[in-house]
Amino acid sequence: MNRSMIQASVTMGQIQHKLDIIGHNLANTNTPGYKSRQADFSSLLLQQIDNLSDEGINEAANLDTANQGAANQEAANQNAGPYRLTPDGIRSGAGARLAHTNIDLSQGNLQKTDRSLDVALLEDHHLFQLQVTTENGLETNYTRSGNFYLNPLNNGQMLLTNADGLPVLGEDGEPIQFADNIDGMHIRKDGAILINRNGIEAVEAQLGIVEAIRPRMLEAAGNNRFRLPDNADIVGDGIIANADGQVQSGTIEVSNVDTSKQMTDMLMAQRAYQFNARSISTSDQMMGLISQLRS
Amino acid sequence: MLRGFYTAASGMMANQRMQETLSNNLSNAYTPGFKSDQGTMRAFPELLIQQMNQTSVPTRNGGLNLPTQQQIGSLHTGVYMQETVPKFSQGDLRETGIETDLALLNGNLPDENGFLFFNVQNEAGELQYTRNGNFTVDGQGFLTTNQGHYVLDDAGNPIQTGGMEFDVSDNGTINVNGANIPLGLSYSPNSFDLEKGGNGLYAPGENAVPLVDARQGQGINFNIRQGFVERSNVDSAQAMTEMMNTYRSFEMNQRVLKAYDQSMQKAVTEIARLG
Repeated sequence: MNRSMIQASVTMGQIQHKLDIIGHNLANTNTPGYKSRQADFSSLLLQQIDNLSDEGINEAANLDTANQGAANQEAANQNAGPYRLTPDGIRSGAGARLAHTNIDLSQGNLQKTDRSLDVALLEDHHLFQLQVTTENGLETNYTRSGNFYLNPLNNGQMLLTNADGLPVLGEDGEPIQFADNIDGMHIRKDGAILINRNGIEAVEAQLGIVEAIRPRMLEAAGNNRFRLPDNADIVGDGIIANADGQVQSGTIEVSNVDTSKQMTDMLMAQRAYQFNARSISTSDQMMGLISQLRS
Repeated sequence: MLRGFYTAASGMMANQRMQETLSNNLSNAYTPGFKSDQGTMRAFPELLIQQMNQTSVPTRNGGLNLPTQQQIGSLHTGVYMQETVPKFSQGDLRETGIETDLALLNGNLPDENGFLFFNVQNEAGELQYTRNGNFTVDGQGFLTTNQGHYVLDDAGNPIQTGGMEFDVSDNGTINVNGANIPLGLSYSPNSFDLEKGGNGLYAPGENAVPLVDARQGQGINFNIRQGFVERSNVDSAQAMTEMMNTYRSFEMNQRVLKAYDQSMQKAVTEIARLG
């Protein structure tokens, strides 16, 4: 197959992946605590095509100059490879590929909801802890999304969970539970949960807030959660540390997806796709011309 | 003899190769730090055509035929694509807001063809150069390129960030956890000596002028921007135009080839027709 067709079709497949990521970002424009992702390209391997060797060119150059006179001959000798600027051969690329996706960890905007169970983290890299049951037992996951709910348990207790029903961990690393006859509740700036029973307010639990010291070491676990990577050389303590978080109740951190930027990226990706498609159709027409040679 | 046959065919081949280069440029129009390739066409060395004649010299025995030679001019035997030269020019900056993205901006450079690069290490542990500052941090906390090659500091060692947040100053010093690590930056006085490899890496060619440390060289200015990447310097409009041009040129060569074929057809079918 024609080389330029391969280049363009490979690249089109990769641009499709970029569009997938943009689509995912746009879909999560309203997901609380979502961090947008960005994909960048890298050029693919290059293939060296050996061309006419340098010696051949030089001989030819000398032949040329021999006819033009001795003065030029001298000039040609001084400049060993008069026709080449670059190293030998032609290096022909094989298109581009998606190199990696980077997470934009910047903080999203705060949106006031006036719902007492919506909590926004006010500082960068602070995270809530969630308890997740996996095949290997319990695991702690981390999230920025602070839209919490109370789930009644069978034993007359209420469990604080996230939107997916996963228990939110308190300062002691245990799920937060309350007795269910609650008149009102309120979350203080330091993460303490104040429960109002019969007009008396008391601190009954404390949200466990941690700080990601090495935020780029965290692995995305889906559902807007992060987890510690299994093969990290640095132990969990080095990646996550307990922190005195600052929270704002009645507020939610919205996703940090910038829709106008995503739309711009989408337009760019789509145009890139079109350019590559055009490159394929041009190559196809060239192939057509070849086949018409014998008509 | 229809010599132009091969000339037209070589024109088609050269244009096809040109098309490959342009198509690769278009593919990489959104690759950070990519430098577009410019194909150069070159005529095959000219051949001299000489007249091979015999001249009769009158002698006593009835005549002697002597071969004589007379130059009648030169003939081109076609065209081929000689080389692809990367166009080393600064790409625009694009803001990403991601702290591991670094853009290298050329300042004043002493040589006309001089260019600056980040130092990275390839799989074989060799020093290579790149302009793609779309970096990331790997599982062990080292700063790497987006293909996992280590980015080197000015002493040639991989840069350990420990996965921590870091700040990069304008002069390319990474400030991580209280330590200042200067990024390894190289300056090539003649960037055309560099051989383009895969994944946006460059290596010095065989007879290259050695690259120097950009911080040591005289009159070399640069700027590092954190949270930005350098965009590819491919101009899609230009690449598209060149592609159309190349296509038409290919088409014309094809027409010429067909015209020759028709001449041959005449020779076969008409000249030898009897009656």
